[in-house]
Amino acid sequence: MNKILGIIILGFLLPQLSLSQKIKGSDTVLPLSQKEAEVYMQKHPEATVTVTGGGSGVGIAALLEGTTDIAQSSRRIKFDEKNKLKNMDKEVVEVIVGYDALAVITHPSNPIKKLTREQLEGIFRGKIKNWKELGGEDLRIIPYSRETSSGTYEFFKESALRYKNYMNGIMSMPATGSVIQSISQTRGAIGYVGLAYVNPSVQAMELSFDGGKNYSNPLNTETSDVIYPIVRPLYFYYIQKEEAGIKPFLDYVLSDEGQQLVADLGFIKVK
Amino acid sequence: MNKKVTQKIAFTIFKLLGVLIVGILLWILGFIIFNGIGVINWEFLSTGPKDGMTGGGIFPAIVGTLCLMLGSIVFAFPLGIMSAIYTSEYAGSGWIVRFIRVMTNNLAGIPSIVFGLFGMALFVNTMGFGDSIIAGSMTLGLLVLPIIIRTTEEAIQAIPDSFRQASLALGASKLQTIRKVVLPMAFPNIITGLILSIGRVSGETAPILFTVAAYFLPKLPTSVFDQVMALPYHLYVVATSGTDVEKSRPIAYGTALVLIAIVLIMNLLANVLRRYLSNKVKKD
Amino acid sequence: MRKIRKIIEKIVEGILTLSGMATTLIILLIIVFLFKEGFGFFKSPVVEKGYEVCLNSSNTVDKLSSYQIKQIFDEDITNWKEVGGADAPITPYRFEYLFEQYDEADFGEEYKLLPAKIAEIIKADPNIIAFMPTKYVPQDLSIRTLPRENFGFVDFFFGKEWMPTATPTAQFGILPLILGTLLVSITAILIALPLGLGVAIYLSELASKRVRKILKPVIELLAGIPSVVYGFFGLVVLVPLVQDWFNLPVGETAFTGSLLLAIMALPTIITVAEDSMRNTPRAMREASLALGATQWQTIYKVIIPYAKSGISAAVVLGIGRAIGETMAVLMVTGNAAVMPTTLFEPIRSIPATIAAELGEAPSGGAHYEALFLLGCILFFLTLIISISAEVISKRHPQN
Repeated sequence: MNKILGIIILGFLLPQLSLSQKIKGSDTVLPLSQKEAEVYMQKHPEATVTVTGGGSGVGIAALLEGTTDIAQSSRRIKFDEKNKLKNMDKEVVEVIVGYDALAVITHPSNPIKKLTREQLEGIFRGKIKNWKELGGEDLRIIPYSRETSSGTYEFFKESALRYKNYMNGIMSMPATGSVIQSISQTRGAIGYVGLAYVNPSVQAMELSFDGGKNYSNPLNTETSDVIYPIVRPLYFYYIQKEEAGIKPFLDYVLSDEGQQLVADLGFIKVK
Repeated sequence: MNKKVTQKIAFTIFKLLGVLIVGILLWILGFIIFNGIGVINWEFLSTGPKDGMTGGGIFPAIVGTLCLMLGSIVFAFPLGIMSAIYTSEYAGSGWIVRFIRVMTNNLAGIPSIVFGLFGMALFVNTMGFGDSIIAGSMTLGLLVLPIIIRTTEEAIQAIPDSFRQASLALGASKLQTIRKVVLPMAFPNIITGLILSIGRVSGETAPILFTVAAYFLPKLPTSVFDQVMALPYHLYVVATSGTDVEKSRPIAYGTALVLIAIVLIMNLLANVLRRYLSNKVKKD
Repeated sequence: MRKIRKIIEKIVEGILTLSGMATTLIILLIIVFLFKEGFGFFKSPVVEKGYEVCLNSSNTVDKLSSYQIKQIFDEDITNWKEVGGADAPITPYRFEYLFEQYDEADFGEEYKLLPAKIAEIIKADPNIIAFMPTKYVPQDLSIRTLPRENFGFVDFFFGKEWMPTATPTAQFGILPLILGTLLVSITAILIALPLGLGVAIYLSELASKRVRKILKPVIELLAGIPSVVYGFFGLVVLVPLVQDWFNLPVGETAFTGSLLLAIMALPTIITVAEDSMRNTPRAMREASLALGATQWQTIYKVIIPYAKSGISAAVVLGIGRAIGETMAVLMVTGNAAVMPTTLFEPIRSIPATIAAELGEAPSGGAHYEALFLLGCILFFLTLIISISAEVISKRHPQN
């Protein structure tokens, strides 16, 4: 028992590093923050940036509890989350660090290359069950979703399903990587992932959100002002009072160099 | 059918099953080693991850896992030993000791994710440690406590009563007997159990998910209140997320290999130490 | 001097007694904390805290279940008639639509004009059902809020939908999770039992000392491989293999999980079963052999019956280990919360649900509490299993 006490005391005596900052939240923003942190630390060896995932909700909850400095989020802070922070007398600051387009992906052998929003809604709500109904092969549609924690899950629900809930018992993968992996192995599969994750083992669909008049391809997106329908900003949230500590890192992320990293990862630059 | 023939068939099947078990182990180990061995080099073992987890090494995760192994033992070892001494030397053989044994067995049967929940509720939230080495170590410590208690108990009970009686007859007190006779003799087996439980700690993922593990933290920890990366969680992360699963696959193989190597080394170490120490005890 | 020593001995004995109680204490603490965090669930409202479901006062419906509200907003129920109201189409209205219809500036400073806007919308449509933050629900006679209800035991234990973030009413039915967990675990044991038993017989009765020397460490190693490594192996090797073998649309199935869990449960089964076989008294074996029985007859007429309780204990312990397994199952079973109908569909297990969702559930919310309740269920399930294994293995073998 003494040893435990000793550890506790020792821990309190050790100085907490002032240059360390924690980023927590969205798995979509994770590779971005990770890369920025990696390069930033190379340039500033004295700094420590911890990056943890868990989902946008986790990040903002951690900001509420004061256990993280920056909450990374792939969705806008929710109304009641903002209210909670306000009630705690914490003014939250929102910074857009990049944009992400959600690509709808299928197995590369799938002959269907285009979908409308209504069809997407039908598929992910379980109303359309076979590719045949969309003019494809006679093959069961297997929709892959993300875990409920992810901002991606929420954002796709808002934009493609118009806030309606997914079908009951949809396959939910713990992380984007597993969605790609599974879709590349499964012929009837369809899923949605951040643009940065798309690779040649899957094919990205062209989408139309105006009833089939215009289709656009996520892979042709270069800047944020595009017509591709499922584009969302990626946010950093922090508490205004603590801005000073975070500023250097934030400035780096928004600098030309930092934004180049954003583009290199397959996201879309802020400017 | 002739009963000799039946026997022959049955025995052949059993033998094949034995071979199958070895086959399964070789399959899994072979698969990981074959794919992972090419990844292992000094850079992989001594640098942090880079390029969005598709390059670099796993040094911070190795250090993190070592911290957790050490931390959990510091927490669980004294408690486990004392508990085992109580049940085997003091508690007698009444209902109390039976009750304690049942409880220890029950604790051993609780799934690791429940320990994770408990650790999060108690150490992270209620005690306010946050996600930290100390919260993770304590959670893992609880997880291996029953193993340590059980192996220690077995080690102590293996000592013949005549030794205790001799010591007591020479005028030593009970505590002295335990310290000078029982513990030193049981030491080799206690250490073996300890090392095996350290090996167990190194591979646990569920208990550290919500108590300590960080996705990316290339700096080494400076206090017990820091988060760390850890090998099992890192394997989970590189196997399922990241920008490019295909590109980070080699890292996953490498990490799995290192994890398995730790378990293998711990097993080997335990066996070697047991042999070495028990020879030594006998000579003394 | 003597006295001091005596006192020290007493103190040490006290400390030892205390630490002897440690495991009991920890189990108690686990129960207390899981319940403390989880039990608030039944006091949480079905509509998220801080939100309200509002109707136009002319609507006669005065009660909607959590599931009905969800179906209405998903447009699965489209007419008030279906829920006991007038024959009129339902207009579901979400708070978010406001921000699409109007500019944020229209709501005034700190959203002061928001309630008036909401009142306007609800008054305009007698068939509307609106989901709004309580703060902005207008005080107006023509608007009615549905009475608050809390999650009930029946919804939780027998609900068939697990949709913890569905809006406006999350669905926390754990039946699919429980059935999924049991399906994978029990199938795993059915696969592992014959294999494990065979190996146990081989080890205890047939194998030479040299073979045992090889097999024992192999089994120890199998037990020592971390579950996340098994999960990784399953993900990369077994999932595509199962998909190929059975020509399935998806490889992440309950069966894949069972296969992996069977491998993981083998060491437990082998070790426990072998121990109990070895404990068969020598006299019984020799008597059987002396009566002219072959070795095989002795094994299945004498040794296996004798070791029956040990074997049963092995089965129970194996199930226990399988039920609680988290990472391996999380990585290979697809995690779809459906009521399982076949082995070749994805399922979602209780531990995997906790592992995947706890990180995101804001602490203190209904979702967080529901996950802790799942933890409680898992805890008691394994507790019952440990105790029954204990009871079974203590039972005296019958002759």
